Amino acid sequence: MPKKTLDPLPSAAFQILLSLAQEDLHGYAIMRQVAEQTDGRMRLGPGTLYSSIQTLLEAKFIEEVDVREDAKLGRERRRYYRLTVAGRKLARAEAERLGDLLRVARARKIFRGDYV
Amino acid sequence: MSEKIYAFLLRLFPSPFRRAYGEEALQLFRDRARDEKGFFPSFRLWLDLLADLGFSLPRQYFHVHRALLAASAQPRLNGIPSFFVLEDESPRPGALLFGAIFTLAAVAAISVLIGQRGRYRPLDSWIAQTQRANGAPSSASGLPAPQRTGVPQEEALASGQQSVDASSFGPGDTELNRFQADQAMRSRGSGIPQPQAQPPIPQDATSAWLPAAANDVKLDVAERQRVLDAAIANLKAYYVYPDVARKMADALRAHQKNGDDAATTDGEAFAGLVTGQMREVSHDLNLELVYSKDPLPQLSAEPTAEDLARYRKRMEQANCMLEKVEILPHNIGYLKLNFFPDTSVCQSRATAAMATLNDADAVIFDLRENTGGFPNMVALIASYLFDHPEYFYNPREAPTEQSWTRSPVPGNRLADKPVYVLTSAQTISGAEQFCYNLKMLKRATLVGETTQGSAHAGVWHRIDEHFGMSITETKAINPFAKTDWEGTGVEPDVKEPAKDALEVALKLAQSKLQKK
Repeated sequence: MPKKTLDPLPSAAFQILLSLAQEDLHGYAIMRQVAEQTDGRMRLGPGTLYSSIQTLLEAKFIEEVDVREDAKLGRERRRYYRLTVAGRKLARAEAERLGDLLRVARARKIFRGDYV
Repeated sequence: MSEKIYAFLLRLFPSPFRRAYGEEALQLFRDRARDEKGFFPSFRLWLDLLADLGFSLPRQYFHVHRALLAASAQPRLNGIPSFFVLEDESPRPGALLFGAIFTLAAVAAISVLIGQRGRYRPLDSWIAQTQRANGAPSSASGLPAPQRTGVPQEEALASGQQSVDASSFGPGDTELNRFQADQAMRSRGSGIPQPQAQPPIPQDATSAWLPAAANDVKLDVAERQRVLDAAIANLKAYYVYPDVARKMADALRAHQKNGDDAATTDGEAFAGLVTGQMREVSHDLNLELVYSKDPLPQLSAEPTAEDLARYRKRMEQANCMLEKVEILPHNIGYLKLNFFPDTSVCQSRATAAMATLNDADAVIFDLRENTGGFPNMVALIASYLFDHPEYFYNPREAPTEQSWTRSPVPGNRLADKPVYVLTSAQTISGAEQFCYNLKMLKRATLVGETTQGSAHAGVWHRIDEHFGMSITETKAINPFAKTDWEGTGVEPDVKEPAKDALEVALKLAQSKLQKK
């Protein structure tokens, strides 16, 4: 079942995978990381965020690591998520797919400059 | 505050998701609310949240649904029916309360709507109009359709004229006669002999025939003389009271001598004038001189089998003019009947309609748009309202075996139920017979307007291509009073504008039923 909802990979799920590439994060940190890496274009709401997390968890692309406090955000305990090997693979595959797309786009000269 | 709102919105998610991530989602909301302060950020926050709900809610339920499908596959193999619940926790008391209130509101709304249905009838009236338009094509010309040839002595008497019994529905009548009579009654009911309603000859048509039809461009003295002579001869030969006929003849002659109609060169106006002069003496609204711009048909043609089949079909399409049969709130039966069709065609439908009403506690007959019809149907429907045969007075004919209702009807329960009849100023002819007798027998309460006042007892006599007249030939003895409803109409027991009659009758019926 999760295979279906992740194929093709929704951009929210891809962004979450990317956000976890560097370090383990909790929900709110994922959201901020995603907003940052998309220049604020994608702000994940709780519903989208956690249903994506749920799907990715079920497909074992991410896993829960532990529950601890975030020193910067007060004393609330938060659940942290980590990218699995399969998740990293999936993110790489998706990035490559996008890279291919980008090459095609470049070849078709749809970009004005050559800076991409 | 805003956190509470969001917590409430979170409840929209399926419970597995809520259990797993509800707290985290709330936490995330708190974090964001704390970080994004100020008018614009918090506005953006809520915009985000609502958009997020819109996107993720359907997906979550889809998710749950698919999970269920996967779960249900196994047990189904055994062939044993089983149920799955979306949520395995019991509903919150708040949800139960909300559900109960919502259900009550929905039930109340639906019952109010059902109650209103009887009063909101644009569609019904449109259907009725269509039915009438299809059902009475002969009224377009405003002329009586061909009728059966008269009884032999009438033919012998009328030199070169033919007379037709347009309204005799005696026991000897064959089906064909009834069919013809029906046609005649219908065209009358919707056209000619109403004092209020002029024959519906369109204005443009009147101007069109002037140059076209050379033979009747203008009435000249000779033509007027001929028509008047024929009318007087007919009156003397057929009118029910010979002395009144003589007086009318004298009056017509006197008017002619005075030159009262000398200026009239228009056929229609002339016919109206003479009609007025005859009624002035006799006060008999069945008397009428009729002018028709179209040639009046010769009256020999018997209706063919096709005519009859067409008539049957038309009646059936119109559901025998039974526009509406239903049980209204408080178990009040309602029958809207726009015509009393011949029992030979419509008996079964009429019987079925009455069977529908059989268990009602009161019955309302809506005759506000009824254009008359056949005494046999009048008697058939009235039969249900009595437990013993009652004489139903019909001014058109002397009493026969069929003048009594066929009561009691086996299995019928309406004989002692309150009856209300809705009338309007358009209610006419056979419908007035129904009203009149029920009123006189004190069997029904009439609600509405005084009826049109036309007993339609006249017999049609053709004079020539363009003139004909209807003459009262018989007077049945009225057991109730000296006069029937001719010219006066049947007065209702409760006077109300026709449009309010149903509402008033319903109230009357309800209060009567409550007293029981």
